[in-house]
Amino acid sequence: MKRSKKAALVLMAPAATLLLAGCGEQQQEVHVFHNAEECAAFYHPPAECQAEFERAEALHTQVAPRYQNQFECEADFGAGQCETAPERHQSGSFFMPMMMGYMAGQMMNRGNLAGGQAQSTQQSAANNRSAVPTQPLYKSRDDRSTFRTASNQAVASQPGVARVRPSAVQPQRAQLVRRGGFGQQAAVRQQAARQQANRQRSYGS
Amino acid sequence: MKRVKSTPRPGWQAYAESLGFKFHTIDGEPYWDESAYYQFSLRQIEQDLEDVTEELHAMALDLVPDILADEQKLDQLAIPEDYRDALAASWQRGDPHLYGRMDLVYDGSGPAKLLELNYDTPTSLYETGFFQWVWLEDQLMRGELPAGADQFNSLQDKLEQAFANLALPQPFHFTSVRESIEDKGTVDYLLDIATQSGVDGRYIALEDIGSLDGQYYDLQGEPITGLFKLYPWEFLLEEAFAEQVKTSETLWLEPLWKLLLSNKGILPLLWQKHPGHPNLLESHFDTGKALDKGWLRKPLFSREGANIELVTADGQRLSEPGPYQDAPFIRQRLQPLPMFDGNYTLIGSWVVGDSAAGIGIREDNSLITKDSSRFLPHIILD
Repeated sequence: MKRSKKAALVLMAPAATLLLAGCGEQQQEVHVFHNAEECAAFYHPPAECQAEFERAEALHTQVAPRYQNQFECEADFGAGQCETAPERHQSGSFFMPMMMGYMAGQMMNRGNLAGGQAQSTQQSAANNRSAVPTQPLYKSRDDRSTFRTASNQAVASQPGVARVRPSAVQPQRAQLVRRGGFGQQAAVRQQAARQQANRQRSYGS
Repeated sequence: MKRVKSTPRPGWQAYAESLGFKFHTIDGEPYWDESAYYQFSLRQIEQDLEDVTEELHAMALDLVPDILADEQKLDQLAIPEDYRDALAASWQRGDPHLYGRMDLVYDGSGPAKLLELNYDTPTSLYETGFFQWVWLEDQLMRGELPAGADQFNSLQDKLEQAFANLALPQPFHFTSVRESIEDKGTVDYLLDIATQSGVDGRYIALEDIGSLDGQYYDLQGEPITGLFKLYPWEFLLEEAFAEQVKTSETLWLEPLWKLLLSNKGILPLLWQKHPGHPNLLESHFDTGKALDKGWLRKPLFSREGANIELVTADGQRLSEPGPYQDAPFIRQRLQPLPMFDGNYTLIGSWVVGDSAAGIGIREDNSLITKDSSRFLPHIILD
């Protein structure tokens, strides 16, 4: 026999439709501020504002997006808006945007100042376990009003209360890796082929 | 060898899609075409195609050390100087190769002639190895084909054995350009076979590959230790992450040395070493002068018939535009494709490792086989 004894597929046959985790997910209320002082000015307990700010600051060095150099970072975040990251690569330091604000996931004890201040912030946090971790926020060069997470998810355009989908704002460790360095020739040839009104649907032969 | 009209299986399109064959029809034009099939004798398959394929493959591999030892040949093949050391190293280390396809002109009698080697990013793999096989089994079951009909197609069996035997680094990644569903289909098929062989295979879009400190990374930030790429080496080497090819620990399929064999410049080099070989067409590096009657010109690197120009024996000029004007060209004596029922027929003959592994047939309405050609199944019946 000159043909295969069997030809089975294990992956290409259709899998049952998966329900996306994001569907029907409840939005959650969060608080967005430039800094702890602004948080306190919005009638929140200053100690909690400060504790959440510090929590976000600690996360900042872990999650802020990384760039190979200052130039590439400033292209996204604006002149003077970047700082060196803790890691180094072959030819220097990585750069990352400065933290421009923070998002507090915990519900703060607004209007209960006496109780709030009496409670330790740790206890308060424990009592209000949130699906949204408190985290740093950033602002891009071309849109200075919008607060964005480290993974470029827009969350608010002004300080105060905002609503987010928890799954969209889970902090992730920053990638040091550059991407998009392969595939440019495909785009170039595709364009050349289009100009000649013929198709290029495969990069095989 | 003959073309036999056949009744398509009712509803085969939906069945094809359920099996992941999403490009059976392209821009409304049929690509998979089962309104006919080709029939070969076992002698035609074994003597004229299988043996010839393995002989031509061995002749091609045999040229690699000759080329590596000769800067002039590397120049003629337009191999970038910056990557010649890395290329030679990939050959000297014995970086493994998985597969290739050679295009042959054959009409059932006389020696098959080699048109070119597609040895870096060969496609039509799924339709050859899987869907053509399913068609045969299905039509045998329905009684639409004579009992005992066979097919020259051990492609999937041989790929499965190859994946099991290559001792690839784990996990092993597979990549293609994000926008091409055809390429994704081909890569999905290889990933499927590799998985069946016990390989921990993972897909990553080419554009998502990351680079840091001379290594390549996947989206989870893990180093890419092995990578199958359905993307030509001559493109990769012009791109932003090319430099890391020299430093990364990534094992590539196909290996970098395949850049020599997927190059049309291999055709004049084969002719120089084996002048008059019955399965070769006279070929030369192009000097730019006008084509004589009965010759064709094609770029060192091109795909799907792009940028080919030919002049038939009676002086008719034919050319196909394309995006590959930027490489040198070769010229090759024109061996017109045979015609069956008004169609020009080309045979793609597969090699897995170093073994001939089956054929796929393309039909076009022109002497130049393009990406608009149709794929037809075949049988062996004596």
